[in-house]
This record gives sequence, structure tokens and C-alpha cells, in this order.
Amino acid sequence: MKSGRKFIRSKMFTLLLVLAVLIVVFLILSKGSFLRPNNMKNIVDSMTVVSFLTIGAGCLMISGYIDLSVGAVGTLCGILMAKLLVLGVWWPIACLLTIAAGAICGIISAILVNELRFQAFIATMAMASITQGFMYIISSGQAVIINDAAVGKIGSGVIFGYLPVTLVLAVAAFIIYGVLMSGTKFGRDVYLVGGNPEAARLAGIYPKKISYILFFNSGALGGLAGMLFAARVKSATVTGIINSQFSGMTAAILGGVSFGGGAGGLGGAFVGLLILNAFNNGMMILGISPYWQTFASGIILIAALMLDYARASRRARSKLA
Amino acid sequence: MSRYLEFDGIGKAFPGVQALRGISFRAESGRVLALLGENGAGKSTLLKIMSGDLQPDEGRLLRDGEPAVFSSPFHAIKSGISVIYQERQIMPMMTVMENIFLDDAPRKMGVVSRKALKRQTQEIIDRFGLPIFPTETVGRLSVAYQQMVEIMKAYRRNSDVIAFDEPTAPLTDTEIAILFKLIGELKAAGKIIIYVSHRLTEIFKITDDIVILKDGQLVKTVETGRTDERELIRAMVGRDIGDTYSELKRNDVLGETVLDVQDLVTDVVHGVSFTLRKGEVLGFAGLAGAGRTEVVRAIFGADPIISGQIKLDGKTVRFKSPRDAIDAGIALCPEDRKEQGLVLLRSLKDNISMPVLRKIRRAIFLDKKAEVDLARRAVEKYSIKTPGVDKVVVELSGGNQQKVILGRWTSDKMTTKVLIFDEPTKGIDVGTKAEVYQMVCDFAKAGMGVIFISSELTEVINIADAILVMHNGHITGKVNREDATEENILRLAMLE
Amino acid sequence: MNNQSTVRRLLRNKTVSLALVTVAVVALFFFLSKDGSFLKTRNLRGILNMVSVTGTVAVGMACLLISGGVDLAASSEACLGGILCAMLLRAGISWPLALFLAIIYGAVAGAINAFLANVMNIMGFIATIGMSSVYTGLAKVFTDAKFISVNDKEFQKLGSSAIFGFVPVPFVIMLALMILYGFMLRYTRFGRRSYMCGGNPQAARLSGMSPNRTTTVLYINCGALSAFAGSVLASRMHSATATAAQSVAIDAITASVLGGISFMGGSGGIAGCFVGLMLLSAFNNGLNVVQLQSYWQLVAQGALLIIALCVEFFGERARLKALKRREP
Repeated sequence: MKSGRKFIRSKMFTLLLVLAVLIVVFLILSKGSFLRPNNMKNIVDSMTVVSFLTIGAGCLMISGYIDLSVGAVGTLCGILMAKLLVLGVWWPIACLLTIAAGAICGIISAILVNELRFQAFIATMAMASITQGFMYIISSGQAVIINDAAVGKIGSGVIFGYLPVTLVLAVAAFIIYGVLMSGTKFGRDVYLVGGNPEAARLAGIYPKKISYILFFNSGALGGLAGMLFAARVKSATVTGIINSQFSGMTAAILGGVSFGGGAGGLGGAFVGLLILNAFNNGMMILGISPYWQTFASGIILIAALMLDYARASRRARSKLA
Repeated sequence: MSRYLEFDGIGKAFPGVQALRGISFRAESGRVLALLGENGAGKSTLLKIMSGDLQPDEGRLLRDGEPAVFSSPFHAIKSGISVIYQERQIMPMMTVMENIFLDDAPRKMGVVSRKALKRQTQEIIDRFGLPIFPTETVGRLSVAYQQMVEIMKAYRRNSDVIAFDEPTAPLTDTEIAILFKLIGELKAAGKIIIYVSHRLTEIFKITDDIVILKDGQLVKTVETGRTDERELIRAMVGRDIGDTYSELKRNDVLGETVLDVQDLVTDVVHGVSFTLRKGEVLGFAGLAGAGRTEVVRAIFGADPIISGQIKLDGKTVRFKSPRDAIDAGIALCPEDRKEQGLVLLRSLKDNISMPVLRKIRRAIFLDKKAEVDLARRAVEKYSIKTPGVDKVVVELSGGNQQKVILGRWTSDKMTTKVLIFDEPTKGIDVGTKAEVYQMVCDFAKAGMGVIFISSELTEVINIADAILVMHNGHITGKVNREDATEENILRLAMLE
Repeated sequence: MNNQSTVRRLLRNKTVSLALVTVAVVALFFFLSKDGSFLKTRNLRGILNMVSVTGTVAVGMACLLISGGVDLAASSEACLGGILCAMLLRAGISWPLALFLAIIYGAVAGAINAFLANVMNIMGFIATIGMSSVYTGLAKVFTDAKFISVNDKEFQKLGSSAIFGFVPVPFVIMLALMILYGFMLRYTRFGRRSYMCGGNPQAARLSGMSPNRTTTVLYINCGALSAFAGSVLASRMHSATATAAQSVAIDAITASVLGGISFMGGSGGIAGCFVGLMLLSAFNNGLNVVQLQSYWQLVAQGALLIIALCVEFFGERARLKALKRREP
């Protein structure tokens, strides 16, 4: 009884409520086609790639940083994998190298931020520009076709007849990272660093190490996402998943991850992701032009940030009470 | 020109603290009014209200009987009130003249005239008799000159009311003499001057009236000529403070040397050596910026060391990070609780378990039950007032926050040998202060070596077994408990 | 003796040394390019044309950076500004009015940015990133991702005519703006205020200024200048698209930071921004002329930004060290 009431007051409940309302509204507006199997597949497809970026961005934001290069890094990684496959590299090696490339990009950002004290957003913006250049250089701006059957299976295969592999991977990642963040020392360190890096350092935590690990992680997950996207569409292009870091960030912030760091969790981020995707898909299914979706994505990001601000100021108010 | 500035029943609350309550007094034109009180008595808050930076919760300001409401510093400055803050409000990248004139630079047809700007600045500098140039970058000046730039800024504004918040802290005697001469001139010109300082000798030298605050309340108003130092201290400290110290259960058994520092050199510290014995409380005194904090931060591995040797229990150690120091048994309660001590938006238990997370694990997961137990024990041990261990620390009072940090360093998962306190009683109320003093003595009794840094001289004198006095990155002397007086410590601290 | 110290002082000056670097880069490309085509009038004119749009945005961006803000939506504001201008012209509105309305749009966009940053307390960079999606979306909706042609002959002249045969009018406009804003920053009260609000907002507030008001004005200014730049671009290209000015925001930031404007606010000036801009465009265009793949430009862009920030970082560290030496 008491825990029930507590749940109703919780942030999670509000988020789930918003999600339910969105689903019902779109269900009615689309006359039921919103929940049809092939639309569900659309949702799953667009969601799985972004889910890795949501995890990467979520963890990074909880620690007080941000990585705007993930989309470009992921896209570069997709092209890299396709090229490696074309060169005849065995697919597991190609995949590993691809993820490693993403991780290296993350490490470079971490060096810029930690050693040279750049602000994270400008450092990663510069990184985005550089990786974007490299992706054009590698691909000459042309799409690279992926013929490898195994990779194709990862991208669009199903297990047990209907469970997409990517979805399984995404959900597994959410669970693993969720447990990592809420149940382990490392996760706690991330929150403490995000809350107050200097206090954390003076209490024996290494904020620098945490930041390196999280940039590394965000880059690697970006690489994985770019790879899965290329595998699903069976070709790698320079547009790939470019700019989808913003979707990842928006989902995380919507789900309660604080932009300033130190608060929120991956459970919320997951629901945030569902909300974002339900919304995008709903717009699509209602036949709203994709251009309006660009418009809407900006509005949602701003709205999520305003929500974040409202939460922060509510905390500040409760401070005064 | 206004004749007087009146504070009428001013009250102000912050989270967990009633900073000011019912403050009423009057500052008159042509007189210097001293605002006196210990750290955390509410002087700074009062100045901030006066300058429009904060709005009072209750009460009002009156000028010549007319209510004056300042919704921002802009309004206060426009109506002729200047406050020179303790934290310097300079623009380090800009020149002296730009800092002094800010956006009021002399203009010709709307355009800033650099020539006039330079000339007028030079005039002010000459008036103060300082060896600086109008075109110098302020960031390259020493702290003392930066402070003088601040003062020149207020002087230039020609305000009716000028408040100084501990202006002499970074100044040398000659500079202080110049400042006092200027204050005399301002006074003769009929300005209203409010002067905040700890230094009683200064108060007797230049002020006419004294207002004493204690714990946010006004305890005494008196004319300077009709009082003496003893009376002021009694009013500031309250009569119970002497008893607090005499009731302390001190440790009197000193063990062997636990910490031995030789020739420690960092960016700011120049060759500091001392030893600390088990069971000893070693005080560090000195003015702000003397290098006390930097010494302990270097020992703790928080700042890089250039040279020097540190021995802990006879073994030479060199800590690359606070983690190493913590593992070796050194703990630091930092100067700024909120900025460096606590993760304010996390719970009490999270803040207590911070350094020992690796010891409360089951497999790779945190043992949350063990963590809660750890926090509960700290809450009990130090009687922290909180509804539960999940309470966010930002909602606790200053004293309880300090106890959370103590709980962190003295939990049973820690093996602390050396416990360092940097200004532990800053901004906490008198009752909790007494508790903190007793805890410090208890830690010494338990065999830890304790380093106790404080700017409140009475506190260091009464708590520490021996006091090291620092000035400008050097140790200028060691005073034993028996010989410690405010005078001989201050003399060492202000050595020129 | 005295002479020598003047030279040394000049060399120490960031802007002067940067200008020397720029000259070196220009010389390098001159020798690398086939038969010196880098300095041929046609190519120079191309550079000036390119510079003028970025430069106009950079003026607004530089002022904003000095006051401690940043506008990453400047690109999309420029694109949408150009598109609005083109649409209004197509609707038969006279060109001065169309241009004016486009600038008004930019000002409104800037005001929204300022609202988000100052009132909603959202960090400037992320708020403007969000708004940039909004404007890009609108730009695509209005153009349907195609281009809108500009047929007004008078308006076309604004962007494509030249003085003395080869100095493009947009470049002259940009220079005029730079001089105007450089003067404003250096010699007016508002300029002083901008530096102070960027250098130490808390101190500025306690000195009776309103940092929020100052940045609001500069956000609006940056938006308006971006929209103006977009319109000029539309006039030169005789058309407007949703992608025309895609990289001007980051270019403008790079130019400013290269020119010594601190990302933390409070220092630098328009002269530096101008030299930074020249270096950036010499670089970009030079890579083209020496026939390196144009894709390397993207890499160079990011690398230059990182180099500029590195220079700032090491400069600041040296300054702090010098300061420490000076104090006993």
C-alpha cells in the first residue's frame, strides 16, 4: 500500500504515464496501425541503434560530461566495418576493430577534455568535424555495400522466430549497464564524480579515470551502434547515424538524467527512449513530413532540458524548506 | 548626501540556518561603524543585503528615514552604496584602469576616452600613493594590490556609504596605513563607513561605533571609546565559550611520531618542516593565503609536491593522489565543506561510504545493507540529526554536514592515523562547535595525530597542543600551548 | 635598443603573430598551387566571397563569446534567414523589406536563445543546439529540401557586385561591420560591459551590471547578423537552401578562438577574430587549390579548432606560471 503510493509519486510513474498516454493517443489517431507488427518492427529498428547511444550519453552525462561526436564516430565506424569486410577481413575481427576505432575516438576526446581542459562540448564538436572528414575520405562519399551474411544476420536477424537480435542486444546492454550503474562501486563513483568531482577526488575516487572510461565507453558504444545500423541497412553511408547523439541525449534527459550530472538512472533513460521513439514513430505513421520531425526533435530536446531545469529548481526549493 | 543608514529588523534565513534575526542599528554620516562578530555571525550576509545582492526575508533598510529597497546590486550602487567584498571582485584579464572605472569610463560623445581614463586613474593611484600603472593587467598584480584596486574602485564611485569587508587581511602595514588615512578622509567628508574586521586593534584605531553580531543576532552596540577589548571579546564569543574550552576532556598522553614532514615545497609552500605525534593536536594558524591549506593538501596528495620528504610511521611516502593518502591512513576534512567535502545532492549514506566503497562489496556488487549499517553507526556515534541515512546532505545543517564528513573518515572500515581538519568550525553554530572540539580531543585520545587549521585564534589556542604559525608559505614559528596568546601568534602571522 | 623591444612587443602580440602565421600559410599555398593560382584574382575573389558570410556571423559570435555565451544555432539561423528572405521576395515584397524581415527573424531567434540560456538556465550551447534542429526543420519544411531561387535583380546585386572590379560588396559590408563592432567593443560602455560579464559575471553583477541583459542583447545581435549573412549568401548564390550555410557557426567559433577570443569569455577582440578568419579561409581554400580532396577540409576545420584551443590552454598556463614567479 505504502510502496504503491510511493511509486505513484515517483518520476518513473510519471514517465510511464506519459508513455502510455502517447501510445493511446497514437493508437487512436492511427486507427490501430500504431501497434501492428510491422510498425512495431519499425519502432524496434529505430530504437535499438539509438539505445546504445542513450546508454553512452546517459552514463557520460551522469558523470557531468557530454560527447557530441558519437553520431559522427558511429557513422565513421559503420563505413570502416564495411570497408574492412570489402577487404575480406573475417567479420568478427572487423567488428572488433570497428568498436576499437570508436573507443579510440572516445579516448581522444577524453584526452582533450582531461589533459588540455577543453570544454567537453567544443572538444567533441571538433572531433565530430574531424571524424566526418575521415568518413568522406575513406568512402569518397559513396555508399559501401555490405554483403557479409553473418553481419547481415546481426543487423536484421531474429531469434526464436521473432525477436530481433539487435533488440536483444540493446535490452541486454540496458540491463547490464543499469546494474553496473546502480549496483557497483564503479557506478557509484560515476554518480559521485558527477555530483562533485573535487569532493570525490578528495575522498579517494579518481575522476579522471572515470571520465576516461566513460568517454571510451561512449565511443565504443557509438561504434557498435554505427556498426549495427550499417549491418541492418546492409550498406554504410556518410549519413549513417550522424546527429543521432542528440536523440541519445534527449532520451536520457527526458528519462531524468540530469544534464549537469550526478542524478538520474538508466531505467529512466530507457523509458525516455521509448517515449522519444513512440513520439517519432507516431509522427511518421500519421504521415507528418520528416522535416517536421527535425523540428520536433529540437523542441523535444529543449522541452527535456526545461524539465531538467524544473527538476533541479524543485530540488533547490526543497533545500530551502 | 544621506545623514544615516538604518537597519530595521533585518532577518534572513538560508537552508538549515537562520543567518540573521531582527538586526536593527543605525550608521551615521561622518562616523566609522565597526561590524564585529565571529565567522558565521552574519556580517557578510548583512553586507550582501546592504548591497542588494540578497533580499532580506523581513525588515528593511532606511536612509534618512526613507525606506530603501535594492532589488539588485545595480540599484544599491546607483543610490550610492559601495561594498568592498572579502572575495575580490576583479576582472583579472583587464587593466587597472578598466577595473577601477568598469563601465563608467569617462566618455567623449559616447565614446570611451582612453586618455582621460588613464589620466583619471593615475590621479586616483597617486592619491593612494601606489607604485602601479593604470595600464597594468590586474591579474598580474599581487593580492594586496588587487585589493587596493578594489578599494580605489569604491573610492572612485564617490558613494555616500562605503562598506569594507575585512579589507586589511591581505595588506601590509604601509598599505594599511594608507588605507586608514583614506578612511579618515572619507569620514571627514561626511561619508557613512561600515568597517568589518576581526582585528580588534584596528577597530580601536579607526572606528567610532561598534555593533557586535553573534549567531545572527545583534548582541551589543557601543561607542568605541567606551569599551575595551575584553568586553568586546566577551560579547563576540559569548560567556559560555570559556567554559566550553575548560570542560574539554583533553588528551595528555603523546605517543611516538606518526607524521614527519621535511622541507616540503610546492608552488605556494616554501620549505615547511614539522612533526606530528600520536595523540597530539597540532594547530596551524596564519592569515588567509598564508599557505596552511596548501601544506595539508600537498601532504594529502591533492596538490603536486615539488620537493620534500614525508614520513608516515617512519616510512617515506609520496602520495600521487588522495587515494594513496587515504589508503596509508591520512584523512582530510577540507576547508570548503560544500565545494570540496560533500556531494551535496547525494544521500548521507553515499557521502559516508565514499572512500570505503571497495571494502563494502559482495562479489562485484555493493553491499547496500553493509553500507546502510556503516552510515547508521556514524549517525549514532556523532548524533547526526537526520530522519534517515537516505536524506540528501544538502538538507542538513552545517554542523551536521561536518559530522557527516567526520563519520566518513572515522568509520570502522577506515584506519585513519592522521586526521586533518581545515577550518572545521566555519559557519556552524556554537553548540555544534563545542561538539567538534570534543571530537577533535577524542580522536587524539584514540591515538590519532590531529592537524587543526583554524583562523579563529581563540579556537586554535585552546584546542591545540602546539601551534605552527605560517606566513607567506613559510612556518614563522612554533608556539606551545602554555605560551600561546593571541598577540604572539598574530605577530608571527603578520611578520613582515 | 628601443627598436628591438618594439619588434619584440609586436611579436608577443597575439594578433600580430597570428597575422604572420596567416601570411606564411598564404605563401605556402601560393608555392604549392600550380602556377600560383592561389593568388589569382579569381581565387582571391572566391576567398573573399566565402569569408564575408562566415565573417559576418563571426562578428556576432565573437561578441557573444566575449560576453560568455555561444550560439551553435547560427548556421541554421543563417539558412532559415536566407530562405525567409527568398520566400518573401518570391511573394513580391520589396527587397529592403524582405531583408529587414529576415533580420527581424534572426533577432527573434536570438531572443529565444537568450531566453533559454538566461531565464530557463539551460547551458547556452545545448539550448542553441536544440534550437538549431528547430530552425533546420523549419528550413526544410519551407523549402521541401529543394532550393528557392532568388530572381530579384536588385537584391542579387547586394551579394554579387564588386567594388573596383574585384572586391565583393559582401566583403566590404563585413569589413564595415568588423570595424563598427571592434570600435563598439573597445570604446563604448556596452563593449566594456560585454568583457566584464564574460570575464567574471559575479563580479560584474556586484558592480551593478546585469550580465543577463548584456548577453541577451548579444544573443539577439548574433541571431540578427546570422540571418543577415544568410540573406547575403542567398543573394550571391541567387538561391536559398536549407544546407547553404551549414558550417558557418563552427567556422565562426574557430575563427574567433584562433584569433585569441577566450572560450571562457572576457578576452580577445575583433581584430584577432578577423585575422583568425583569414587564416581559416586561407587554409580551407588552400587545401582546395592544391587539389587535396575537399574532404580534408572537414578534418582541417576540426584540427584547427583543436589547435586554437590548445594555444589558448598553453597560453593560459604560461600566464599562470609567470604570475606565480612574480609573487614571492
